[in-house]
Amino acid sequence: MKKLLITMTVNDEQFDLMVRPNETLTETLRERLGLTGVKEGCAEGVCGACAVLMDQHPVRACLTLSMEADGTSITTIEGLASDGKLHHLQESFINHGAVQCGFCTPGMIMVSKALLDEKPSPTDDEIKEALSGNLCRCTGYKKILEAVRSTTQIDPKKGA
Amino acid sequence: MRLPAFDYYSPTSIENAIQIKNEFGGSAVILAGGTDLIVNLKNRVIAPSVVISLKNLRELRKIDLAGDSLVIGAGASLSQVACNENVQRHFPILVDAIKHIGAPSIQRHRGSIGGNLCLNPRCLFYNQSFFWRKGKGSCLRTGGKTCLALEKAESCQAICSADTAPVIVALSGQLTIVGRAGSRSCSAQEFFTGKGETPFNLGPDEILTEIRIPIPWAPISSSYKRLSYRSAIDFPVINAACVATFEQEKIFRFRLVVSAAGPAPITLKDLESTFIGREPSQELFSEAEQAAVRAVEGIVVDNSIASKQYRVKMAGVMARRVTQSALTASRR
Repeated sequence: MKKLLITMTVNDEQFDLMVRPNETLTETLRERLGLTGVKEGCAEGVCGACAVLMDQHPVRACLTLSMEADGTSITTIEGLASDGKLHHLQESFINHGAVQCGFCTPGMIMVSKALLDEKPSPTDDEIKEALSGNLCRCTGYKKILEAVRSTTQIDPKKGA
Repeated sequence: MRLPAFDYYSPTSIENAIQIKNEFGGSAVILAGGTDLIVNLKNRVIAPSVVISLKNLRELRKIDLAGDSLVIGAGASLSQVACNENVQRHFPILVDAIKHIGAPSIQRHRGSIGGNLCLNPRCLFYNQSFFWRKGKGSCLRTGGKTCLALEKAESCQAICSADTAPVIVALSGQLTIVGRAGSRSCSAQEFFTGKGETPFNLGPDEILTEIRIPIPWAPISSSYKRLSYRSAIDFPVINAACVATFEQEKIFRFRLVVSAAGPAPITLKDLESTFIGREPSQELFSEAEQAAVRAVEGIVVDNSIASKQYRVKMAGVMARRVTQSALTASRR
C-alpha cells in the first residue's frame, strides 16, 4: 500500500499531500493539516460531527477517502472566519447559547452554511430537515434551530 | 476508527474498471459514494485487497430519456436523481424513496443510486464492530459455519435494507451490468438473489452501470412507505412500494413489493392477476395485507432491531397502506 499524491484546496489554500489510500478525510484534515475543528464522533456516518463542505456540498469526512477528495475544494469550520471576524452563523450560535459542549457545533454550522448558501431564507422545516443528519446530545436542538433561523433574516451581503 | 489496508484504483474508463475488477475478482470492491462501504470496511465485515473508485467515470452519472425508458447512471448521486426533472415527472415514488435515505444534506451528495441498490444486506449480528462480533463468534457471512440469527439456515439471512430496491422492482426496472464478456440486462427482481452471502446477481468481473425504468404508457398511481425508528439516518424496519395503472376506474396493472423482510425484495405475484379488473375497496386493501403477511411469514427471522412477530405484522400494515394510498391517490 504505497502513498499517493493528491491536490486539494482547503480553506482557499492549495495543498499537495501524500496520503495513504485508506486514509479518511477526517484523518488527513486533522492529522496532516491540524484542522481539529473536524470532529470524529461516531466515525460511521451517523452523528455528523465531521461534516465539511466538499465543493460546497456537505459530506461526512469520516466516510470520505482522502483520495476521493483529490481535486476538490474543502471548507472546514476554520475557513469561515475572515479578518479575525467570526462568520455570522458562528456569532449567532454563540449569541443564542446553541453551543454547550461544542463537539457537534462545527458539523452543525457547516451543514447550516451549505443550506443557507443554497437557500438564504429556509423555512423551519427545511432547517430541521437539513440538520436531521447531525446529532447533539446537549442542547435539545431548540437553540440550534433558533440560531440558524435568526441568521436567515440577516442579509449576508451586509454581514451580521 | 482506522480503515484496513487496501490498494486504490480510480480507472478513467468502464473498460479499464472491468479489467481491474476482473484481475482481482472477489477481492476487489467498487467504491461509489462510500456511505455504506466505508462503514463496512471500518467494521471489518468485508476485507478487500483492492478498492476501485468510480469517481472518474462521469458517464455513469448521466440521467437521460432513451426511447421509452428513463436511463439512470448507477453512479448518479441520490440528490441528482431526486432533483431530475424527468424522474420527478414520471416517477415521483422514486423521489419519495430517496428522501428517506440517510440524511438529506450529507449522504445524498455522496450516496449513489447504484450504491443504494447494492447496499450490503444488513443483520443485527453482522453490522457490528469487530469487537462486538468477536464475542458471538463468526456467522455464515464472516466465515463461520452457522447463522447466528437462524440456527438451521443454509444461507445468510441478512435483510435487504435499501429504500430504492422495492421501488425499482415495483417500477419493473431493468439493470445493465457490464462485465468482461460485454453488457447484459437483468430485471431488478432477478438482481436480488435472496442469498445474504452473494446478495446480487453480479459476477466477480461485473459492474452495475445503469438502471433503466420503462416510462409507463398510462398515468400510474404509486406509493412508497417505510417504517423506521428514526426518520433520518436509519434503515427501514419494513418498507413497501405499490405501483398501479387503471383503465376506466378499474385496476389494469398492479404490483406490490414488500422489502426489508428478507435478503431480497418480495413481489406479491399472486395479486398481479387477482387484482386486475377490480375497483379499489377496503376488501382489496385487506387482501393485500393478508397476502403480504403470508408472503413474509416464512422469510422474516429475528435479526433486526424489531422482533420477528412485529415485522411480520408490520409487513401487512405497510402493504395495506401503500396499496390504499396508491389506489386512491390522484393519478399522474
